[in-house]
Amino acid sequence: MPLNSASSLPARDPAAPRRLAWLLTALVVLWPLLRAAEVQPGALVAAENLKVVGNFLAAFLPPATGAEFLGYLGKAAVETLAIATAGLALAWLLAVPLAYLASGAGREAATLNPVVRLVLTLLRGIPELVWALLFVRIFGLGPAAGVLALGLTYGGMLAKVYAEILESADPRPARALRQAGAGRAVAVAYGLLPQATRELVSYTVYRWECAIRASVVMGFVGAGGLGQLMDQAMKMLNGGEAASILLAFMALALVADLLSRALRRRLEQPAPPRATAFGPAAGALGLALAAAVLGSFAYLDIGLAALFSSDAAASMGQFVADFLAPDLSADWLLKVAKGSWETLAISAVGTLLAAAVGLFLALGRPRPLFALILNGLRSVPELVWATITALAVGLGPFAGVLALALHTAGVLGRLYAEALENAPPAPSRALGLAGAPGSVAFLYGTLPGVAPQLLAYTLYRWEMNIRMAAVLGFVGAGGLGQQLYFELSLFHYAQASTVIAAMLLLSIAVDTASRLIRRRA
Amino acid sequence: MSFALSGVGLTHPNGFAALADIGLRAAQGERIALIGPSGAGKTSLLSVLGTALAPTAGRLAVLGAEPSSLAAGRLKALRSRIGTIHQAPPIPARQRAVTAVLAGRAGRWPAWKSLASLVYPADIPGARAALARLDLADKLFERCDRLSGGQLQRVGVARVLYQEPDLILADEPVSALDPALALATVRLLVAEAEARGATLVASLHAVDLALGCFPRIVGIKAGRIAFDLPAGEVGDSLLHDLYASEGEALPTLATEPRFTARAAENDDAGCTTCR
Repeated sequence: MPLNSASSLPARDPAAPRRLAWLLTALVVLWPLLRAAEVQPGALVAAENLKVVGNFLAAFLPPATGAEFLGYLGKAAVETLAIATAGLALAWLLAVPLAYLASGAGREAATLNPVVRLVLTLLRGIPELVWALLFVRIFGLGPAAGVLALGLTYGGMLAKVYAEILESADPRPARALRQAGAGRAVAVAYGLLPQATRELVSYTVYRWECAIRASVVMGFVGAGGLGQLMDQAMKMLNGGEAASILLAFMALALVADLLSRALRRRLEQPAPPRATAFGPAAGALGLALAAAVLGSFAYLDIGLAALFSSDAAASMGQFVADFLAPDLSADWLLKVAKGSWETLAISAVGTLLAAAVGLFLALGRPRPLFALILNGLRSVPELVWATITALAVGLGPFAGVLALALHTAGVLGRLYAEALENAPPAPSRALGLAGAPGSVAFLYGTLPGVAPQLLAYTLYRWEMNIRMAAVLGFVGAGGLGQQLYFELSLFHYAQASTVIAAMLLLSIAVDTASRLIRRRA
Repeated sequence: MSFALSGVGLTHPNGFAALADIGLRAAQGERIALIGPSGAGKTSLLSVLGTALAPTAGRLAVLGAEPSSLAAGRLKALRSRIGTIHQAPPIPARQRAVTAVLAGRAGRWPAWKSLASLVYPADIPGARAALARLDLADKLFERCDRLSGGQLQRVGVARVLYQEPDLILADEPVSALDPALALATVRLLVAEAEARGATLVASLHAVDLALGCFPRIVGIKAGRIAFDLPAGEVGDSLLHDLYASEGEALPTLATEPRFTARAAENDDAGCTTCR
């Protein structure tokens, strides 16, 4: 009864040549990146390097426990929490309207709003460290600079991811509502938010964890909190104190993780049958959240009014003017180009390595053990990993690659695990019922469904890592960061400005590449 | 003996008894239709036969083995001989039809072959032949999220044809198809089972389809077997008792409201005979 005669159809897989071409292209691109990142696995197991790392890690024991130090530690931990919370609150305020404007979700024609997209790119493209430097000039040393820097950078990141989560939800419910005459806001609220709430909330909470880490990184340039303490301990090579600070830090990350898990479990429970979706528990949660945000701002004592004073405007103007005259001599440009290539290589190779390790850890059983490993990996900030990997393989790009990979594996592993948990179970269960082994059921049933999400997470993480690769240069891991750190410490704003422009261009290029890959995939 | 259930009950953790005291035996090669109102337990019964759910009471033997007593490896081997057509095709949206069909043999192929097949399809002619029997040969390399609901359901059927199981379980296998295609697809399943001597158990919403195509009819109501008779002995009063909760009219292909017009055109095809 077939209507189509099979003989007229291709006998070979028509997709195969294209796949082969992609594979070859990937190999051709990867090879020079590996060269530029100076990947030398041998250095990891060299005896003298192992000894240096061993000695350094041995100094971590026992962790410092002096009463005075613990007092400082407690205060710094609270400050870090407050910076992260206040910064994320600011970011969220910024992100919600921007995401709504930037997203194509719920629009009848998928028009992206290019102006908002550009704003988002600018917000995210300049590393928070650079924003922090800008605000440190206006507010002086202290947490205010950190909060504002976090607010702007994370506002851009949240907005972008919110917009994409809404776009990746099944568009049909919203489209049906639009066709029934509903406005866009209503269509989004009724058609898309119910599908996306879990992901939106879990991403926001996850970002809050990231904000804790980021506030530590900014502590290294004087924005307060645990980072400032860590910077001092590392500079004095005080292993015991560094260990205590790290432990405090991991504890914070663990608490954040538990909190996020509890929140998600609440979202999974079916709502009790009552008219409103918000019960007493939700009300209490909202109050607690508001108290945390207001408390954070009060604790940090940020004079936000100072941001709008004429002094601040003049100071910002001067800073911007300094940066608006970049050094464009051919000599310097060449150096910056080389630094850019190195930074690109560090970020790309580090992210790929992290994706492989992360997937492995996301699939590991028993879950609690691997969740703990992932937690450990990502609760150590890249900068701290970099000081350790620099000891293990020497200063240079490879140390940066390893530091990025270790931290990012923790991040991606957790995101992968969540995506896999949320994947529809029916396809792989059906294969299991047909007798397929677990690995085959996973590859045929689960992976095709979640692959776009895993890819999106990985690419998105790559976009963040290109900025982190720059920051890693601050501790000698090569690339643009090393150049920026060097020029800034000599007050060479013209040269530093060129480097920042290169970072911005590089992150825009990576953004674009990642979007193209996602669209093709 | 293809399967034998005696005193089988299935009580969910929340206390709901989906099945109670089911006794059912089938010889290899039998073709059985399960009918009954929504929520009667047809899907639960198929899940128990497919070893997806373990009965909470009674004894179950499928293809000469008791699933509950099997080690993991043997259970896999048993499961690879059972093919289930799910009501909602369990196929990831982005998978291509060729891969979705080849996945039918994931239980029989060694793991390396299944993995290699992800790089390049291991059996393109086989997948095409299975799809061609459902009139979908031209969709071989199409991604499943580009298929209509009915096409996707037929890809799910093609997967089980490709699996060539000894026991075919079909849970509303034609719920997304129009009457003409539904009839053709059920005929195909019956013919396939007959040709290979496989046992076929299908739950069907349309009573005329069940009576027309299957020699043995099992009526299920409230988790129990209401009757188990040759198709010829299933009378109108029996059916009206079975569907008492669903109003006057019996569910048939022709009374599907969407398809009334189409069904009228297909009256010639005749739903009363299958062969």
